[in-house]
Amino acid sequence: MDFKIKIKNKEYQIELKENCGAVKIKIGGKEFVFGSNKGSLIETSSIKKDSLNKGIASSLSGVVTKIFVKEGSHVKAGNKFLTLSAMKMENEIVAENDCKIKKILVKENQQVKEGEILIILE
Amino acid sequence: MQIEKFKSISSTNKKAKEMSNLGVAPWTVVVSEVQENGYGRKGEAWYSPKGGLYFSIILPRGNIDDLQIITILAAFIVAKTIKESFNVEPLIKLPNDVLLNGKKICGILTENVIGSDVKLSVIGIGINTNIESFPLELKDIATSLKMELGKEVDNTELLEKIITELKNQFKIISE
Repeated sequence: MDFKIKIKNKEYQIELKENCGAVKIKIGGKEFVFGSNKGSLIETSSIKKDSLNKGIASSLSGVVTKIFVKEGSHVKAGNKFLTLSAMKMENEIVAENDCKIKKILVKENQQVKEGEILIILE
Repeated sequence: MQIEKFKSISSTNKKAKEMSNLGVAPWTVVVSEVQENGYGRKGEAWYSPKGGLYFSIILPRGNIDDLQIITILAAFIVAKTIKESFNVEPLIKLPNDVLLNGKKICGILTENVIGSDVKLSVIGIGINTNIESFPLELKDIATSLKMELGKEVDNTELLEKIITELKNQFKIISE
């Protein structure tokens, strides 16, 4: 949903999106994510937002245990990018759609944070 | 309780993931008398000869926090069930192990497949029930209920008690 609001004669372009239970509000160049289950407001930087369009962000903090893809390789939907050992569990991070790997930003045994971009797709 | 029984498979977690991918319903349990390539966290081998209790449960889709809680709760449930059934004092080594007399008796591994959201989750539990002996490299760190109690235990009864309790707990935390 897109709309404009006017505050003190200045006009702001607002973009509102709901995705996986989280509400994203984009105001000007900045994006805010309101996680419904956490009740917290997180500002995502514009750099992260740009990467997010073609990047695979880690959904949890943990350690990259194994990487199954290489830069330039094609990955089919459902196939593994990498495994993350996190929150006492082993997690396979898989491709949502068929894609090609542009850049891998992490290494095996590297600690990653929630939201950190792991892989950039072409 | 839907239980799929096998004589020998590679790994109950692997089989449960395959079945979940094929659309098999949550809470279906995969149990095997032997695991040819049983594994724990970080791919470490889990000794799985005949006599032990090896099973995996296809979990309902949940958020990652609930799945973490159920993993930790599973260790408590296994320890509690063993304590109440056999009058022994197991020790929980968080997050994923249960010890008896200082040696490992149970290991737990939750695996999630994540795309834009959590696609599927399975929890695997291996309990050293009626194992008579361990290889040299494990005998100082692992034990079995049979070795500790001096008698065999009923794997099916233990399995059903643990699953019933896990289902109850999952219901509570999901509400």
